[in-house]
Amino acid sequence: MSEASQFEPKIVAYVCNWCTYLGADLAGTTRLEYPANVRIIRLPCTGRIDFNLLIKAFEIGADAVLVSGCHPGDCHYTAGNYHARRRWILFRELLDSLGFDLRRIHFTWISAAEGRKWQEAVTRITEETRKLGPYRELYQKNGFRRPNAPPPPKPPAPAKNNAAAQEQQLRETCARLLSEGTVQVVIGYGVGGPVFVRRAEDAAKLVWNADCQANLTTYLKRKEIKRLGKAAVVVKGCDERGLVILEKESQIDRQTLRVIGMACDGMGQPKCDTCTVHQPRFADEIMGQAGAAPSEATRAGALDALMQLSPAERMSFWAHEFERCVKCYACRQVCPLCYCERCIADKNRPVTIDTSATPKGNFAWHITRAFHLAGRCVGCGECTRACPAGIPLGLLNLSLARAAEKHFGYQAGMDPKAEPLIGTYALTDKEEFIR
Amino acid sequence: MSEIISKAGLRELAKEWIAQGKVVAGPVQTKPGLVMYAKLASADEIVWEGFVRPANSVKEFVFPRHELLCTYKMEGNRVELANDGAEIPAQILLAVRPCDAAAFPILDHVFNWDCRDELYNRRREATTVIALACESHDESCFCTSVGLSPQAERGSDVMLFDLGEEYEVRSLTDKGRALFAGKAQPSERTAPTYMGPDPRFNPEQVKQFVDGQFTSPYWQEATLACLGCGACAYNCPTCHCFDIVDEGNSQHGKRVRNWDSCQFGQFTLHASGHNPRPDQGSRQRQRVLHKFSIYPEKFGEILCTGCGNCTRNCPEGQGMLTLLTGIEHA
Repeated sequence: MSEASQFEPKIVAYVCNWCTYLGADLAGTTRLEYPANVRIIRLPCTGRIDFNLLIKAFEIGADAVLVSGCHPGDCHYTAGNYHARRRWILFRELLDSLGFDLRRIHFTWISAAEGRKWQEAVTRITEETRKLGPYRELYQKNGFRRPNAPPPPKPPAPAKNNAAAQEQQLRETCARLLSEGTVQVVIGYGVGGPVFVRRAEDAAKLVWNADCQANLTTYLKRKEIKRLGKAAVVVKGCDERGLVILEKESQIDRQTLRVIGMACDGMGQPKCDTCTVHQPRFADEIMGQAGAAPSEATRAGALDALMQLSPAERMSFWAHEFERCVKCYACRQVCPLCYCERCIADKNRPVTIDTSATPKGNFAWHITRAFHLAGRCVGCGECTRACPAGIPLGLLNLSLARAAEKHFGYQAGMDPKAEPLIGTYALTDKEEFIR
Repeated sequence: MSEIISKAGLRELAKEWIAQGKVVAGPVQTKPGLVMYAKLASADEIVWEGFVRPANSVKEFVFPRHELLCTYKMEGNRVELANDGAEIPAQILLAVRPCDAAAFPILDHVFNWDCRDELYNRRREATTVIALACESHDESCFCTSVGLSPQAERGSDVMLFDLGEEYEVRSLTDKGRALFAGKAQPSERTAPTYMGPDPRFNPEQVKQFVDGQFTSPYWQEATLACLGCGACAYNCPTCHCFDIVDEGNSQHGKRVRNWDSCQFGQFTLHASGHNPRPDQGSRQRQRVLHKFSIYPEKFGEILCTGCGNCTRNCPEGQGMLTLLTGIEHA
């Protein structure tokens, strides 16, 4: 017998307790035959299926994964499946950019009455997976290292700003805020790194130049900084988008926080490759006027080059990149939106993400990091800038940002009135991939 | 009298080593603007010049970021443990910076102190270190402040000095001599001494300060910009903390050790929820204390080689140098 005919695919099915699980049960009690290749894992609701579980199934040897729940409108908990649907739409795009084989990831709606549909779905998926063969590409390097470098983005428009004048204005404003007692600390840029100015006479320590790359809003989450009292923070247009999200997520009190916006014409590569906002919009004080930011087409060059590859090549690319990851978590620490008291990567009872810097541990971490920022990442590029190993982490976030734009017309941090992308849903969310 | 080898000759020699099945590692252009130590697939990958030092440290080749300690199988009351028993191949670390090479004898103390760490020592014994003297430095370098120099021989089996078309070869140990025996020619030529950075601080003063000023507000003040990642520790040639974890289930799995960093909040977190080092100020102070007081008291030398990787890799431009030069004004 050939190897192909011996191959029995392993399929893991995550199913909702209230519908698909009963549908599968019905298939059994009505004596419908279907392949024994599926391993059913019953969960309370598709809305409760953590995306990490899908990855985990592949890691322990699944050749395909099925996620199935109640038809729209039928959720036992009213809307769990709508929330799940929205997450899947984005998650599939992330997995695609990482080079997962999407032909192995299936989504269905199967009700408690649809025993026959369960039979058909399992039969179909088993046959399709049998044709695909065992999933051997997971986390594998196949020698492919890097897509052809896209043409470098156009140099930014000539600076209209007079950095020296901006700097002067910045110092004066901050000295005033401190001496008036409006704020107790100004989080700003100094020579060689961030400074935390607490006396008006120290305002001269603030600088504004091409080294002001960091996104200082990340300090708003740190208890060491919160202890210093009411704060003013110096932001660029990109950084400011993060504040919109942080406010929406109740992480900052915009009434007490003073925001000082600096017009910026780009700080350099790769930090600013993906930025489309150079002019602060909501800051309390705005200094300078920026030139036009690069267009959508310019910023997505690296991602386009990646997406032109085959999935196996994409996975090989990421496997090569992640190989250098030592899990220093600089990407997490610099991110203003990674503010969890205890990160899922630090949880050890039980361990969800291997702490080991192995292909498995690294993919698990970077998938989690990227997806926890889905619909939230504002593209400030800090993750890429901070990575000591030069891994272009921002690409993953960019793929999610582009998905959010494509499917939901949503850009994180652009509209203060917009409801968060994840956590809400619409009855009209597209579901052509759900069978 | 010293010896020389032509640059082409050394490349050929590296090819030979790789062909012999030895692991050869050296600085590689990982991507534009980023040089990192990595295992060489071919001798042509190595970059010899045009950068100050690699962004990572070479310690990974004797103390990997992730290492299997044993595998386990459990059945009822029976537990079976097994080592993977994999051979550790001979490895040659080529064009290593003196600040990386000097870290090996420093690390040897801690891995041979109250018990002998078999895995570390096996790798260490299988390793030959060929250092290349520095000819440039940047504003993060401070080897001269901790008693080393761009030509420091410590920890190297062979020292190379750039002479233009050739390298001057100074074999320092039998291991090193064996590699270059018959390959290098005697010569009168010798490289001029490159002075490197001016000393930036006095380690004795650092020790006095950290010992005497444990509760100084300086530690909180000077570390406000620290975000608590492990980029400094993980790229440091001398940081060696690790965490032991079990990966697997109740039937089978493996016990591994992974790098850990004192800058993570979880590093000292007790099961009760209490954390004796509750903020970055106390964590950074610990890093200084360990490197400039605890380690010297125990083993007689500073746990820092002045490579400056902490500063270069810090997303916010901080690092040992910023913290230590600030002590003078504290």
